[in-house]
Amino acid sequence: MWKFLGKRFLQMFITLLMFQTVTYFLMDAQPGDIADLLTLNPDIPPAERERIRVDLGLDRPPAERFLKYIGNFYKGDLGVSFSQFPRPVTEIILERLPRTLVLFLSASVISFWAGYASGKVLAWKRGGVIEYSSTLVGVILYTVFTPWFALMMIWLFAVYLDWLPPGKFLDPILWLTAPEGIHANDVFVRMIWSVMIATGVMILGLIGTQRLSSQLRKTGRWVSFVVPFIGVFLYWRFASSGISLYAWDILQHLVLPVLTVTLIAYGGTMLLMRTSMLETLREDYILTARAKGMPEKIIRDKHAARNALLPVWTGLVFSIGSSLSGGIITETIFSWPGLGLTLLNAAQVEDIPLAMGALTVTGVMTLLSHLVADIGYAFLDPRIRFS
Amino acid sequence: MTENVLEVNDLTMHYMTRKGPVFAVDGVTFHVKRGEAIGLVGESGCGKTSIAISLLKLLPNNAKILNGEIKINDVDTVPLSDKEMNKYRWKNISMVFQAAMNSMNPVYSVEEQIAEAMREHMPHLSDQEMSEKIDYLFNLVGLDPALKTQYPHQYSGGMRQRAVIAMALSCDPDIIIADEPTTALDVIVQDAILKRIREIQEELNMAMIYISHDIAVIAEVSQRVGVMYAGKLVEMSSTEDIFHHPIHPYTMALMSSFPSIVGEKTELVTLAGEPPDLLNPPAGCRFHPRCPYATEICREQEPDFKEHAVGHYAACWHPGGVK
Amino acid sequence: MSTISSPVDATYIPLWRVRLRLFWRAVKTNWAMFAENPIGLFGLGLIIFFGLFALAHPILISTVWEAKIYDPVNGFDIEIPYHPSPPSAKHLLGTDPMGRDVLSQLMFSTRYEFALGMISAIVTVLIATSIGAIAAYYGGITDILLMRIVDLVIMIPYLPILIVMSALMRVGMIELALFIGILSGFGGTAIVIKSQALTVKVKPYIEAARISGGGDFHIIFTHMVPNLLPIALLYMMFVVTGAIFSEAVLSFFGLTEIDMSWGLMINTTQVFGYIMRFDAWYLLLPASLAITLLCAAFYMVGRALDEVVNPRLRER
Repeated sequence: MWKFLGKRFLQMFITLLMFQTVTYFLMDAQPGDIADLLTLNPDIPPAERERIRVDLGLDRPPAERFLKYIGNFYKGDLGVSFSQFPRPVTEIILERLPRTLVLFLSASVISFWAGYASGKVLAWKRGGVIEYSSTLVGVILYTVFTPWFALMMIWLFAVYLDWLPPGKFLDPILWLTAPEGIHANDVFVRMIWSVMIATGVMILGLIGTQRLSSQLRKTGRWVSFVVPFIGVFLYWRFASSGISLYAWDILQHLVLPVLTVTLIAYGGTMLLMRTSMLETLREDYILTARAKGMPEKIIRDKHAARNALLPVWTGLVFSIGSSLSGGIITETIFSWPGLGLTLLNAAQVEDIPLAMGALTVTGVMTLLSHLVADIGYAFLDPRIRFS
Repeated sequence: MTENVLEVNDLTMHYMTRKGPVFAVDGVTFHVKRGEAIGLVGESGCGKTSIAISLLKLLPNNAKILNGEIKINDVDTVPLSDKEMNKYRWKNISMVFQAAMNSMNPVYSVEEQIAEAMREHMPHLSDQEMSEKIDYLFNLVGLDPALKTQYPHQYSGGMRQRAVIAMALSCDPDIIIADEPTTALDVIVQDAILKRIREIQEELNMAMIYISHDIAVIAEVSQRVGVMYAGKLVEMSSTEDIFHHPIHPYTMALMSSFPSIVGEKTELVTLAGEPPDLLNPPAGCRFHPRCPYATEICREQEPDFKEHAVGHYAACWHPGGVK
Repeated sequence: MSTISSPVDATYIPLWRVRLRLFWRAVKTNWAMFAENPIGLFGLGLIIFFGLFALAHPILISTVWEAKIYDPVNGFDIEIPYHPSPPSAKHLLGTDPMGRDVLSQLMFSTRYEFALGMISAIVTVLIATSIGAIAAYYGGITDILLMRIVDLVIMIPYLPILIVMSALMRVGMIELALFIGILSGFGGTAIVIKSQALTVKVKPYIEAARISGGGDFHIIFTHMVPNLLPIALLYMMFVVTGAIFSEAVLSFFGLTEIDMSWGLMINTTQVFGYIMRFDAWYLLLPASLAITLLCAAFYMVGRALDEVVNPRLRER
């Protein structure tokens, strides 16, 4: 296991280096180097322009500049943003990253679970109107023009039904009156921590129940599901009641973007799960399970769906890139100030350091997700685990 | 309790295909006594496996039992729903499948796959008792109980086949169906497993239906043999009779295609023609186009499956080739 | 070829004729299977509809529609006092904030979407089949190197790169098509085609070709590649979906240099501040629906073809 992890980390590191090399030199090969953007101003005399060029190190050979860039990157220095001068890129990205991570992770988890659960049921009940309508819905969700879909979600939930705020990270009017010392990012980070701890407790509880005898296991699972929820509720209700109002505001703003990304990612997972399930149902071990007189639910969930999950999980690896893309689009439509919106805005105003930084961090995120997906696969498939 | 653990009367089953119905099992009647091992033999596509899956009612969506009874311990299971049938599966009638390689779920340990059936059918057993029983079964089929927590892919083909047999025995079934359980294995492993199956069957005094296309294998394990041709049972008798005094021309041809090394020299009879297309079977006796003794009546009327000697059943107008 | 023609020249049929005949037979049987899938047929119907839609535009412009008013890029209807205007008899889908006819824009853009999809699909297939066939045929170090590149490309987050790229240089239709084609050609499609190529590689006719002295190049491109084309065709459909979608998103962000496209129509809506004006639905809905439907159509045809090519997905 450790050998596997080490190998994957090394592979990841090399891939990241290649990724950085490619993007750096693509950027470098553009006609008119980065300095020209700063020095286009005709008021700056040629001598001064040359001085800026030397200051920025642009007179050095590309290879040297590249090495310097890579070196700084691993020291955590991504340069200074042009458009938000003089904020360092690292600071901007660290502020925006959690927001994107929450959006991306919660949408991925929910859509994966929902796609898995509904795909298996749809494959089990084949034929008829449900089959075609569910496929059609899946295809439409998978191919729908994301910006339009996000707008339709806003129209439905924020305008027509008026249940949720239409966009942005928080309600400025509410926060204007917030007491001194309450910062949106602090509240948000605390929200993330509480959810992460609750999830950790839940997972530990589920692992713990594995050791119980088969009769007690059900109760144990139920308890380990419910207790963390109650814990989180109590924490926000009593322990940090002063800021729970503001946390609630952020939460309300979070729902619609998460729902949108979830629905978009759901279509593909559901279709894939259904196809995979249909293939699995023809396997011999399904016939064995039926011959053993197992109840339908056990055959469907324990035998068929568990195996059908494997290709769907692999498919998840391929779809990480597209769900990040979906996230970027959704962030722009909802004015959700995450990494995607940062990347797009930086690209639109040609803020190269920020755009490069956001792009590289997105790349790191993709690589890490791939790693997690690979490790997850090894846990899901004993043929990989024991070989 | 009668002495017949299984009685099949006039069982007819078909598959609906695009081109029309295929009668894979047509009017089959036989019985199995408690503790008795019978064999079913025939060419591939003659309906052997269809009988097996009908007995467990594991029919695919396009298949249907049209007629007949399947009595397990005197209860007719044909009208039962899938859910009611689940009480009989594995508990009363279990099966060792043809493709043992893939008949275990790759993501669960062998132990778990055996235990789940016991949890379903023997809920009174504690975790401890279950574990002990699995150890016993592993020893019975000749596997090391220490291997029970491993996954199917860690087993060799022969080991997997033994594990599948252990699984089939787990709920002490009254009758076990073995559908070509050794076909995919190499000859030496095949022989060892066959021997084991026979010993277990005698030791546990359990009824067994052994299905194979290989008549030599059938002879080794069964006390009575049924011969199938084109969805019909054409002859059934003791193994001794079938091998030495067959009366149906198809059985006669089948036997002479397996020459005995030590027995008397006989002429090898080869069968002309192909087995019939079940979409459009010939009228009368289905064997008549290939039968050297066929006459007018064979072409027009179907022979009944009746007793010609004590316990020797056959469906033929000219038993023993007598005109 | 003529030097080694069959001994009986009278019955000699050129190889391409045999191939064509086989191909035609395969098309006929596969069509029968495809036609059983209502979702695939629906997709095909949509594609044909959009094809006719695109063809109709030049005809309308040269007959019924006055170019000065209906030109998709420079048209302006002077008789309407306020733009955007809602649908009317003259402008069936209304006019955009710059006074241009929405239906005309919609029809005019369709041809570019097809062209974009086709170019990137063809580029993808060219690259993916070459890589897949070469990696499968040679194996060893060639295989490892090519597959490492593929791994890298799969991990690259597609849209962010396109966003950064198009911010830095002028990206027109052709550049975009090539870029998408190259990225998807080096991506997942190559893996699928390689695994197919591995099964083709061990077929007896490849061995026969090698024994009879065929060169590597000859074997790969005349014996392996033709057998990879069905599966490549299938993945072309998915590439078209991706290409149209990416173009629409980039144009919507205003990052492309394209005269007119569905994505740009939505971008115009946004630039003029009508994106959240849900009463002006005629600005947003037609283009969005067209993007969605055309993407879905190619995807549905792809799925239906998948069921034809992969027999394990069929019911019986």
